[in-house]
Amino acid sequence: MQAGLRTAVAVCLVTTLVHVVLVFLHVAPANPVSKRYSSQVNGWVYPLFEQNWRLFAPDPDSFNRTILARTAHSDSKGSVQVTPWFDLAAVDHSAVDHNVFPSHTSQNLLRRAWTSYVETHGGSDTARSERAVMLQTYLRNVAADRVAALNGGGGTFEFIQLRVITLPVAAPGAASRNRPPAPSEDRLLPWWKVTSHGK
Amino acid sequence: MGSEQIPQFPSTAPTPHRRAAQEASVAGTADRWFLERIGALWALLTHRPVSLYAASVLRIGYGLLYLVYLLREFPHRDEIWGPGSPWTPALARQLFDQTGWNSILILSDNRAYFELCYVMALVTSALFMLGWRTRAMSVLFAVVVASFHARSIFMTDGGDNLILLMALYLVLTSCGRRWSLDARRNRLLAARAGDVPEPVRSFSAQQLHDARTTLTTVVHNCAMLVIAAQVCFLYGSAGLYKVQGPTWGSGTALHYALNLELFQPWPALSHLVDEYPMMIAIASYLTVLLQVAFPFVLFGRLKYPVLTVLLGMHIGIAVLLGLPLFSGAMIVADAVFLPDRFYAFLPRLWRRAAQRTGTRPSAPDRAAGAVSVPPQGRPGVPGSTHRAVSAQKDITPATGLASEHG
Repeated sequence: MQAGLRTAVAVCLVTTLVHVVLVFLHVAPANPVSKRYSSQVNGWVYPLFEQNWRLFAPDPDSFNRTILARTAHSDSKGSVQVTPWFDLAAVDHSAVDHNVFPSHTSQNLLRRAWTSYVETHGGSDTARSERAVMLQTYLRNVAADRVAALNGGGGTFEFIQLRVITLPVAAPGAASRNRPPAPSEDRLLPWWKVTSHGK
Repeated sequence: MGSEQIPQFPSTAPTPHRRAAQEASVAGTADRWFLERIGALWALLTHRPVSLYAASVLRIGYGLLYLVYLLREFPHRDEIWGPGSPWTPALARQLFDQTGWNSILILSDNRAYFELCYVMALVTSALFMLGWRTRAMSVLFAVVVASFHARSIFMTDGGDNLILLMALYLVLTSCGRRWSLDARRNRLLAARAGDVPEPVRSFSAQQLHDARTTLTTVVHNCAMLVIAAQVCFLYGSAGLYKVQGPTWGSGTALHYALNLELFQPWPALSHLVDEYPMMIAIASYLTVLLQVAFPFVLFGRLKYPVLTVLLGMHIGIAVLLGLPLFSGAMIVADAVFLPDRFYAFLPRLWRRAAQRTGTRPSAPDRAAGAVSVPPQGRPGVPGSTHRAVSAQKDITPATGLASEHG
């Protein structure tokens, strides 16, 4: 009985120490130790204890993103109608404006859909991995849902295209503060076929 | 966690070894020293659960935060967690196959099933916060938080991440011993039982009971250690990464953070703050310094001013950057470092303030006797707390502590 209890306590203690060390290696900047034991660290930490505390680190983003979308609809006669650009990010900004508790749907949904897309695709728009295909589908769904909501569910469309404009935040004290900044990137994505969403 | 309390532990185990150790050889001394350490560690781990108040504050804090979060996203619930989300159930399933996650939310694509899960999540969060059948509720709460987190993994931020980790760790703690419905029920039961002696257990049953108590205590203490370490790692890694960033070094990082449109609920306020580059620089440096220094200030009195500054910082983040959920999660996490005597002191402070603003001046001799005994209820008098509460209203502090002694 006593021996069993002692063993149990020892197991608790060892588990605690192992957990603490592995979580430390997971959150610390990459170093020789965490590289050497990366398989053990990942095996323990993923999926439940995954964490990342890099909001605003190493540097906060120094740009705002404008994410635009337009849709195309081919009617029965075969002619294709393309809508003007909808500003999807502006919807988020106005939802955050004067809101004590902004929703995750305005602060994180589109923002993280785009950053996750960039993480898996880089500069190219060809999906090279299963994860990339998934995130492309996700981004397309997000945009299609947003456009459909903006339309009030009115117009139907079969294709959607995104355009992402990156606007740098002016350095502090810059004279250009009041002028709109020149975009540092203007990325036009290919037309995507919309399937299940945004009818 | 109440790290300051560690020296208070009666280190019972080492004392018998002490005299013998003086006469032993050097090797023997080392041996004895080692045994003493083991004994002290054993006592520290098994003697009693540490920081029960802090654990309860975490339970109440995260239960409440999650409840508020679920209610806040009520209009968007389908978009975030439901079958109508752009992260479709099919995509979620595909990702779970790759990562090994799981979620109760993808068991069915039925809308009614989702609404049921949502309501269950609300109820679970509320009951967990209140501490009703806490251990079972803590397991349910962890399942709910993990399920909802995994389902909306591409919409989460640091706040959600922290709540998930804490929900997992809290399962292992005895977080329902203070300020909970469980504690209240036990108190009432004890009061009703009155002078009736505890039922006599057989020797082996008693042993089993003791072993269970010890094990619960050890698991709780280990979990509290993990929670404390987790919060240290959070600050430490956030700080270490910031040290690498040139904008934090040049003291302009907060200027950029204040100009992000998605984190600018009050643009006029953000621009006003942005007008003061000196303030921005000082705040940027203070942020990094506090984060890196955080683990090192916890073992002394310095932690009180540091925790106060961090509290202010998080309130600032909540308002200026529009991140109340993240800030709330951080503030609750910081509460783990306050010792039990701090929390035990709060109700007294509260009563004193109530007294001062009360209509009648208090009688000084009764105030001095504020260290009270819980009301001695008799069998068949279930209203013992009622009486204590009404006594409290009459500003008689002597009986007022009924609500904290479990």
